[in-house]
Amino acid sequence: MKTTITKDENTTIFALNGRLDSNSAPQFEQQLQDFLVSPRTHLLFDFNNLDYISSAGLRVILNTAKAYKSGKYLFVTCAMQEHVQEIFEISGFDSFITIHRSLDESLSALKGRS
Amino acid sequence: MKISFRINNDLSELNTLLDQLKLLEKKWSLSKKTLAEINLVLDELITNTIKHGECNKKHPIVISLTKTDQTLTIQIVDTGRPFDPTLCTLPDTSLPLEQRRCGGLGILLVRQFCEYWNYSRLNNKNILTLQKTLPKERR
Repeated sequence: MKTTITKDENTTIFALNGRLDSNSAPQFEQQLQDFLVSPRTHLLFDFNNLDYISSAGLRVILNTAKAYKSGKYLFVTCAMQEHVQEIFEISGFDSFITIHRSLDESLSALKGRS
Repeated sequence: MKISFRINNDLSELNTLLDQLKLLEKKWSLSKKTLAEINLVLDELITNTIKHGECNKKHPIVISLTKTDQTLTIQIVDTGRPFDPTLCTLPDTSLPLEQRRCGGLGILLVRQFCEYWNYSRLNNKNILTLQKTLPKERR
């Protein structure tokens, strides 16, 4: 999986490209480490180009959601392909993770939130 | 129709799995959705096998797929430590975030996309057999 990290005002955007499985999850978790230990911006995962996710990927997402649960910064996701969103729903993750339809929708939701 | 292939207990072999399934997609006229579901089921079970087996000892995992008209039978055989995934406890997906744990999600996904599964230990081998009903697809 390829990850592109960009910043838009108060938000750090991780654009995920490819497959998030047990083979690629450790590296992704490594890249996230600083953001999970001490969040300094909102965090947005752009799933537009994510073709595949397994439970190893869900594990990283769950840990991310937990890290952002109590702080002042928000964690949101966007632009999931249908079958990826289905995996989130089966796992019950859609009950505690915000899933926006598009990147723009996420960015405007985060705008003005400190 | 049956195919069978062998991989090693190494997570990078998930890419081999994907290559093999892509060949099947054409050969067996499977839809993208069905293929993705089969990929996920095999990925979760193979990852479990690799993680629960003896990681520092190289051993092969043999995967067989048999397709009849409406049913796909998946068999995974390995010589690692005995491990029965059918005994895993499923996570409660209705719990709030603070109480959610990571364990069992893979097995939950497997059960979602397969109708039948059976584990046996025979001649020092783990033998896991699953069945998936295939949707009627256009050829």
